[in-house]
Amino acid sequence: MAQMKYFYELTISSSPHAHSPVTTRTIMRDVLIALAPALLGSIYFFGFRALMVTLVSAAACVFFEWLYCQILKKPCKTYDLSACVTGVLLAFVCPVTIPYWTIILGDAFAILLVKMLFGGLGKNIVNPALAGRAFMFSWPVLMSNWVKVGFSNAAGIVSTADAVTAATPLASLHQGVMCSESIGALFLGNVGGCIGETSALLLLIGFVYLLIRKVISARIPVTYILTVAILTFLFPRGNDRIAWMAAQVFGGGLMLGAIFMATDYVTSPVTKLGQIVYAVGCGVLTVMIRYFGGYNEGVSYAILCMNVCTVLLDKIGRPVKFGAPKKEAAK
Amino acid sequence: MKTESSAAYIARLAITLLLITAVVAAALAAVNSVTAPKIQAINEQKTQTAIEAVLPGGGEEIAFTDDTGLVSTVYKGQSGYAVEVTPSGFNGTVTMMVGVDNAGKVLGISVVNHTETAGLGAEAASQGAAGTAFRSQFTGMSGSVSVTKDGGQVDALTGATITSRAVCTGVNAALNAVAKLG
Amino acid sequence: MDFKKQFKEGLLTKNPVLVQLLGMCSTLAITTSLFNGIGMGLAVTAILICSNVLISALRNFIPSQIRIAAYITIIAGFVTIVDLALQAFIPALSASLGVFIPLIVVNCIVLGRAEAFASKNTVAASAVDGLCQGIGYTCALIIVCVIRELLGKGTFGGGILNGGEGIRLIPAQFPAMQMVMPVGGFLVLGFVIAGSQKLMKHLEMKNKKKEAAK
Repeated sequence: MAQMKYFYELTISSSPHAHSPVTTRTIMRDVLIALAPALLGSIYFFGFRALMVTLVSAAACVFFEWLYCQILKKPCKTYDLSACVTGVLLAFVCPVTIPYWTIILGDAFAILLVKMLFGGLGKNIVNPALAGRAFMFSWPVLMSNWVKVGFSNAAGIVSTADAVTAATPLASLHQGVMCSESIGALFLGNVGGCIGETSALLLLIGFVYLLIRKVISARIPVTYILTVAILTFLFPRGNDRIAWMAAQVFGGGLMLGAIFMATDYVTSPVTKLGQIVYAVGCGVLTVMIRYFGGYNEGVSYAILCMNVCTVLLDKIGRPVKFGAPKKEAAK
Repeated sequence: MKTESSAAYIARLAITLLLITAVVAAALAAVNSVTAPKIQAINEQKTQTAIEAVLPGGGEEIAFTDDTGLVSTVYKGQSGYAVEVTPSGFNGTVTMMVGVDNAGKVLGISVVNHTETAGLGAEAASQGAAGTAFRSQFTGMSGSVSVTKDGGQVDALTGATITSRAVCTGVNAALNAVAKLG
Repeated sequence: MDFKKQFKEGLLTKNPVLVQLLGMCSTLAITTSLFNGIGMGLAVTAILICSNVLISALRNFIPSQIRIAAYITIIAGFVTIVDLALQAFIPALSASLGVFIPLIVVNCIVLGRAEAFASKNTVAASAVDGLCQGIGYTCALIIVCVIRELLGKGTFGGGILNGGEGIRLIPAQFPAMQMVMPVGGFLVLGFVIAGSQKLMKHLEMKNKKKEAAK
């Protein structure tokens, strides 16, 4: 066992062995910073319970990762903050009224079953936060209990009984009716919805930060959002094409999903062509589910579906080996 | 040992298979003659139970020409009618039995068969508190019913507006059918 | 004929569900309550024994070119008999298992045992094989059922105990509905297979130690 201990302390990686200050930890820290504006916004929109749910979720994710490593006697990598990001993202795609036990079970599912059992960070085949959300639809009523936006209507930190419930803009869009909220409100986020998804503006600020820090490239989010925009512009329900398109793009979880979830390194393709096909697929599936599906929102299932296609999409658009014979290149 | 292509061998294959099939068919016929009357009795019992759940005293099937495509069978009893309707729900057809009294008021409804989403639309058929409360709303209603979202008086099931609408459509079809019968 | 060996194979080392991965369709679909698991298990066991006995008895009579057709005809006959009998005598079970009773015809366990065992062994050995494999299948189903029912509905013994409601172990608002949906079937089956592998390795190690001690 002594030998094994030293083995773990070594960094083992394939070439090139270029030193870079960028580590998983710095990337995840940047993602957390990029999510901060949306978190602050959610406190303003939904009250302090939003912050509590997010903190509990992040803490639970870190705890479950630590627990798994302890039980299986594996080296613990919790310091890389990736579990923390999963926890925050999972909280962001839940309604603010979600009971704490529910989100903790969702965290357990996301970390233990989806991430760690597959081998930990880098080996999971689907995004843990989205898989956790899909699992949390075990309690469909709790997952679709929306409160009216506004600090004064805020759900209590302990009890959510006093919260005023209201339908979300997506609910009316799903029924093919333009929502009553204005496009401006949808853009700013002053509408009902999941904790972190409502404000397109605050999420876009995070997007710009991630682009400046070169944590993600714009290819997947831009292609994804454009696909949704074009499809909803071409096939509007109601008379006003532009308003319908804007509501579909700014309402719901599209921004959050496109910027923070579809761009997950592990579960999105690495080739340029693969990324474009992946993002278009996400967009088409999102619109299909919103138009014809059972649930109001299609973003999470669309990304999950494309996550499992990633292993195939990685095979397209691979650069030809330099100096490879033509025959091999044609393959 | 004969060669595999000879006519006699092929005939042997055919006859063997024929024998096996014939014996199996005969056995099935024998079993069926025992079980068929029992299965029929059980099915009739099931229909009667479904009718009695919404129409006290049960009823007999009567002829009814339907032009809406929603009404499958009408049963007439002493206190009114039981109408089997098949509106389209979220995932497919919802088969329901609607009891209507002679004055055109709903006596009660029950969902016989459905493929709605578990936990949401499926609540319409459940024996739980939410399902029972949802179905009991219809008792005593007449004329035309719809969910509150459409300006009606029925509270839809949480997260299952489409299923709730389907149930309303079914109840309306049953009310109309009874109105037509007089 | 080695009854003990056959029994151990059917229950653990060659368990049709956990090791051979046969009959997955019904295993994943109907394992949502104890009643379903026991009912399905017994139906398949009965069919397995009958078809194994008959196929074994006819093994020298059926030419090999038409054996699959003959086996399927015999199996389908027994399945239909069981289906009709259930509809007539246990309608609740028939309603609960629905299309999965007729689908036993294409359950690979039945055809698999006919092809792999009954067509090469004596009637008595085939009957025992059918019984052992059937018990193995039933046990695996019951384990999956109990776990899924507990996690997905919070009850134990649904369909049989407590007037069909099952005994409530977890308050009604907590159970994770997904566990009685298809995803729960795959998850639980995966964990049960992993557990059975662990158990087998453990037993193997124990046997080796015993032999070494000798």
